Amino acid sequence: MSVQAKESPFMNVAQIQAGLAAKSFSAHEVAAATLARIAAIDPSIHAFLEVTEQLAFEQAARIDAAIACGRLDECGPLAGAPMAFKDNMNQKGTHTTCSSRMLENYLSPYDATCVAKAIAAGAIPMGKLNMDEFAFGSSTETSCFGPTRNPWDLGRVPGGSSGGSAAAVAAGMVPLALGSDTGGSIRQPGSFCGVVAVKPSYGVVSRYGVVAFGSSLDQVGPFARSVEDAARALNAISGHDPLDCTSQHVTTDFTANLSEGVKGTRIGIVPAFMGAQGLESEVREKVEEAALLLEAAGAHIVEVDLPHAAAAMSAYYVLGPCEAFSNLARFDSVRYGYCDPGHKDLGTQYEASRAQGFGPEARRRIMLGSYLLSAGVYDTYYYPAQQVRTLITQDYTQAFRNVDCILTPVAPRTAFKFGEISDPTSMYLSDMFTISINIAGNGGMSLPVGSGVQTGLPVGVQLIAPQFKDENMLRVAAALEAVLGKAAVAPAFAEGDAL
Amino acid sequence: MTQHVNEKDVRTIAAYARIGLTQEEVAQMTIDLNDIIDSLRPITEYDLEGVEPTFHPIGGMSNVMREDVRRQGFSQDEALANAPRQEEGCFLIPAILGGESA
Repeated sequence: MSVQAKESPFMNVAQIQAGLAAKSFSAHEVAAATLARIAAIDPSIHAFLEVTEQLAFEQAARIDAAIACGRLDECGPLAGAPMAFKDNMNQKGTHTTCSSRMLENYLSPYDATCVAKAIAAGAIPMGKLNMDEFAFGSSTETSCFGPTRNPWDLGRVPGGSSGGSAAAVAAGMVPLALGSDTGGSIRQPGSFCGVVAVKPSYGVVSRYGVVAFGSSLDQVGPFARSVEDAARALNAISGHDPLDCTSQHVTTDFTANLSEGVKGTRIGIVPAFMGAQGLESEVREKVEEAALLLEAAGAHIVEVDLPHAAAAMSAYYVLGPCEAFSNLARFDSVRYGYCDPGHKDLGTQYEASRAQGFGPEARRRIMLGSYLLSAGVYDTYYYPAQQVRTLITQDYTQAFRNVDCILTPVAPRTAFKFGEISDPTSMYLSDMFTISINIAGNGGMSLPVGSGVQTGLPVGVQLIAPQFKDENMLRVAAALEAVLGKAAVAPAFAEGDAL
Repeated sequence: MTQHVNEKDVRTIAAYARIGLTQEEVAQMTIDLNDIIDSLRPITEYDLEGVEPTFHPIGGMSNVMREDVRRQGFSQDEALANAPRQEEGCFLIPAILGGESA
């Protein structure tokens, strides 16, 4: 393997493609270097649940064949870029476990649309990534296959639920990963692991083949170490899919305006967020610094109000569990999934299989949803939550009359230690700044802006865009990145050769 | 803290959700659910008189139709490949109408 190929795990997509075009290395060598890198460092991180060596080499062979014919530029915008997928995304021939005992032995018979599109765009599929069980969590500690460790500090969580996706990119195992976000599950791990993490507007990316959690909230998005790579990945996976009727005819080129800068751009700050109880000062300082940097780059910083944002938390913890209760009813121990054998009637088989197949947090959320949708209770919580959704949506509509993008914290703090937050309601506060975006359905992303002064751990700022104006937040993120530099591979994994 | 659900309620909810819980699990679940439901109180305190609900984040969508064309589905083998138990090309379950249980 060439010296340059060995360095490929640290490269961005454009660098990999330049190397392929110059024949400094082959796609096969990129795949081999990535596999060697994963084998060398993933035992200490545990981002991967499955490594798809054969699928990776098959895709690399297709790309090398195209290069041999001088057709690299026909291979797609992600040609030769290693990518890995959260384990709630079906990929034919792989296990799709959702980090649950319920699906431990499930083998996908088909591809999720986001996976199929990424591979059609030339990405090399490297494997499946750890997550909180069924995406219920903010730390990846609820994975029934054991937690993922944060590459910046192995004693801390990577965030969640897409913790494996964030950690794999932060450790320099892959330049790209996909995750899913129902209340913050892309952005919060992006912040904890110091990588670019994008939750597009609801409807930008098809969810077909992604195991559903909250169907009115779920959205798929990319992780990368640069804004440009994230935008390229979003180009590849976005757009209408007849198999997900919520997906929209999005034809935006998300890379098009990245270098336009922010001169004259109006960026909102939410004073109530900046003064929120529980927000650590080291996080607040980084958000304030980002605002100053954007102002210096020519943006106007404007105060905006989201008066109903405080209600978003409770609305989310009504809507999410109700939708999860409904979605997880499909695990019936008959067609697929865990089955506790030996029962004389179907009812006890259901009850035993679901009790043993689902972990504690999944059981809690299903039970909560079952309660909230029951007669009499529905009118107290579920219906008002949908009314609150109207108010939150109106808040954003109003705010975006004055600004192009809103700047807030992602998470109230940096990555916490394993076991540090044990009660469910405290864990739920991890998502206090991210949840309202899912409720309203607009886009939000985390951009790493350096380390907190107290903990020395990565801090992300959240950039929020109006619905279907995701290019706004990507352009602001690119302007900040131009000043601060691209996301770094976590220091402990960045020294010396990539292998 | 208000008690929203007691252990009997939790057993009823578990029956709806088809999750079998031991007595010990019912006790812990009762504590957890009361705790979580308590944290949802803000939703009950808003003045929402006259506010229309939004059930879906994309406004203005109505029925989404597609052309009624045939497309290849899973074969019987593929559809059964993940079944925990199967027999003669069918999913196998315990008897639900009396008689010999599988």
